[in-house]
Parts: sequence; C-alpha cells; structure tokens
Amino acid sequence: MSKILYILDNNEKKDYQYSIKEDTIIYHFSINSSSKVSINLDSENVELKYYYNNINYDNNQFNLEVNHLASNTKSYVFNHGVNVGSSKLNYFINGVVLKTSSGCICDQENQIINMSNGKSNISPNLLIDNYDVISNHSAYIGKFRDEVLFYLMSRGISRNESYRLLLNGFLINNDVEKERILPFIEEIKNI
Amino acid sequence: MLEINNLNVKLKNSDKEILKDLSLLIKPGEVHAIMGPNGTGKSTLSKAIMGHYNYEVTSGKIKFMGEDISSLDVSDRAKKGIFLCMQDPTVIDGVSNSEFIRTAKSEIINEKVNLYTFIKDMESAMDDLSLNKNMLHRSLNKGFSGGEKKKNEILQLKVLKPKFIILDELDSGLDVDSLRIVCKNINDYLEENKDTSVLIITHYPRILEYIKPNYVHILNDGNIKYTGDMKLALEIEKNGYSMINEMIGNGVNE
Repeated sequence: MSKILYILDNNEKKDYQYSIKEDTIIYHFSINSSSKVSINLDSENVELKYYYNNINYDNNQFNLEVNHLASNTKSYVFNHGVNVGSSKLNYFINGVVLKTSSGCICDQENQIINMSNGKSNISPNLLIDNYDVISNHSAYIGKFRDEVLFYLMSRGISRNESYRLLLNGFLINNDVEKERILPFIEEIKNI
Repeated sequence: MLEINNLNVKLKNSDKEILKDLSLLIKPGEVHAIMGPNGTGKSTLSKAIMGHYNYEVTSGKIKFMGEDISSLDVSDRAKKGIFLCMQDPTVIDGVSNSEFIRTAKSEIINEKVNLYTFIKDMESAMDDLSLNKNMLHRSLNKGFSGGEKKKNEILQLKVLKPKFIILDELDSGLDVDSLRIVCKNINDYLEENKDTSVLIITHYPRILEYIKPNYVHILNDGNIKYTGDMKLALEIEKNGYSMINEMIGNGVNE
C-alpha cells in the first residue's frame, strides 16, 4: 500500500518539499496557481507517482524536481495542464539521478492543452549521471486532437459535452477521492 | 432512408476531388455494399456521410430521411440516427467506456439515462458480444485488441439504436470467430429493427456471406461504376477488380 497525499492550490503561489521514505502517490491539483515542488527519494527501493493537474488562466509556472538520492528508486510523473484564454503556462520538470544511484527508473509525461491562443512551454529535463537507469520523457502542447472530437461527436455527443468528457478525463485521475478536490471539479465546468 | 445526389467531395485544403458526382439511393431495410480497390473513395464516402471535418462537400446533396444533412454537424447527424462503425476506432485516454456510452445515449434520447437500467442493458449486450465486463471501466479503446475495438463499436450500436449503419471495413482486425459473433449481433439487430438500413464498405466479400447485401456497388475513381448483387462480389473475389474495368469498357451497367 502506498501513502497517498493530496495538494490543492487555488489562486496562490506555494513551495513544497518532500522527503520520500516509503512508496507514495501525490495528487496535486492546481487552479490558476504557481508552485515549486522539490522531492527527494531518500530510501532505496521507494516508488513515487506524482500526478499534477492544472487549470491556468493567467501567467503561472510549475517547477518540479525529483531527486533520486538512493539506488533502485522509481519515479513516475504525469503533468497535465489546461491553458485557458491567452494566458502563459510554463512547466520546468527535472528528473535528477545521482552518480551513486543505480537501478533507478525516472519517467515523466507532460501535456498542456491550449484551449485557444495561450502560450505554453514545457522543459522536460532528465539529468542522469548514472548508466544503469531507465528514463523516459515526453511533452505535448496543443489542442485536443480533431480525430478524438470526431469520434465522440459521431455518437451524438455535442461539441460542448465532448469537451467536458475530455477535460474530465484529462484532469481527473480515476483513483482520486473526488470529495477531496471538489473546488477543482467545479472549476473544470468554468473552462 | 439515404439519398445521395451528384455528390462531389474533396479534402479540405486540397483541390483534389475524391468523390465525383456520386449518387446512391438506400431505402429502409436495405443492405448495400460498396466494394473497390484501395484509394477509390470508399472511406471518404462513409466520412462524408458522417460529416468528417477533413472533407468538404463541393456540390451535391446528402439527404437522410428526406432532410438535407450536408450542413449539419457530426453530432446532429448521429442524433438523427446515423452510426459509423469505424475502421480504426480512436483511443481516448481518461474517458471511460461506460461514461462515454452513457453520455452518448442520454444525448441521443435527450434525457438522463437511469444508471441501473443502463448497466443491466450493457451487461446483456456485452454477453451477446462475448465481451469482458471490465472493459466498461477501461479508457475508451485503450489497450483493446483489434477484435475488442470492433466489438465495442457494435456494443455502442446496440445501445444507441441507429436507423442507418455504416460498417467501414468491419472485418479488418477480426478473426473468424469474432467476425461471426459481430455479424450475428448486427443481423439480430436488423431482425429486430426491420427498417434499419446498412451500408457496408469492404474490400472482400467475406463479410457479405454473413450480412447479405441487396446490392453490391463497385466504386472506382470516386464514382459507382457498376451495381449488382452478391454474385458480383463473388466474381470480384475470383477475378479481381480488373474485370470491372473490362465491363465498363464494354459499356455494361455504368
């Protein structure tokens, strides 16, 4: 069983620091906020799953640094953002593996959906100083694919309702306790 | 049911016409098959009927149940009862199969779907299709095998109850047993809904052995060049599409 943490930022700027000594899942929800998160994987064999889900209206950024300070540590990071209007959104995501940390897995997947003409940027950095590491990174900035909208609409689902389904699917993980993030769920309706 | 008159369709952002003056009349309860070599416009026809964003109708009309639907958006065409069973159903991560189908059902009948009734109906339909029930809770088409994707299309068909069904290369990605199950479900649906019409788009006559067509059309260079019945499909399997060119050359049935 993993330890589960929830973070909900609502129109604020915050810094977070974590030292992970047991398997941990962090669900981080952010409404129009900037945050800086630093996580140290201190103990051997621990696993981190980090889910960042973000709705942006202004000019915000998200900095995440995951430091693999012990061997056989694993990190899986999923950052999903929706940039509304002509706002600016920047992600700086660093996965760091020290020379002394062998057998690590350091993965990150980043996506920002621009709902209109916003400016988004993702820096998906992997700073790996050890040869015995599995590491992947990906970044996507764009809109929901037309093919996806066509499929939903071809079943009679209106454009607005299709967007609602896509936004919920993109921003709310299946396993979250929804009552803990009600303001975020409400905010999706305003996009 | 469906009346297409002198339809010309091109890809958006391109001058190349794909469908050229195509006309087709499908009456209630009829099954039509469109066959043809690769690149002749078969899938374009199915997407043009559904209103795909990539294609532009430059002239001609598509009428469904007497109404010109050429300017309707995709979801409105579906609400009128048109269902396109896709050749390669799209994967949508994060949207569960059950939420998707339930939303589609409530949009089509224009009222909320009772959860209990919905689950009972879905479970029964999934049994008919030999589908694992955990597929309901998975992301739409994500990690589905080719056969599961096609069965999932037919599951949607059974729940959404369309009046006009387009089967775009239904047999691709299906093994013999799965094809039999899928076609049995379609035939059962047609038996229960006698006015429902079907347009089958296929390269091979194998699917037509299961779903018997009233008419078989050969599409070539964006137009229907020849119309016959099941015998025509079998002839094509035997002799290939080149025989059609010879028949057209002789002025037969064009």
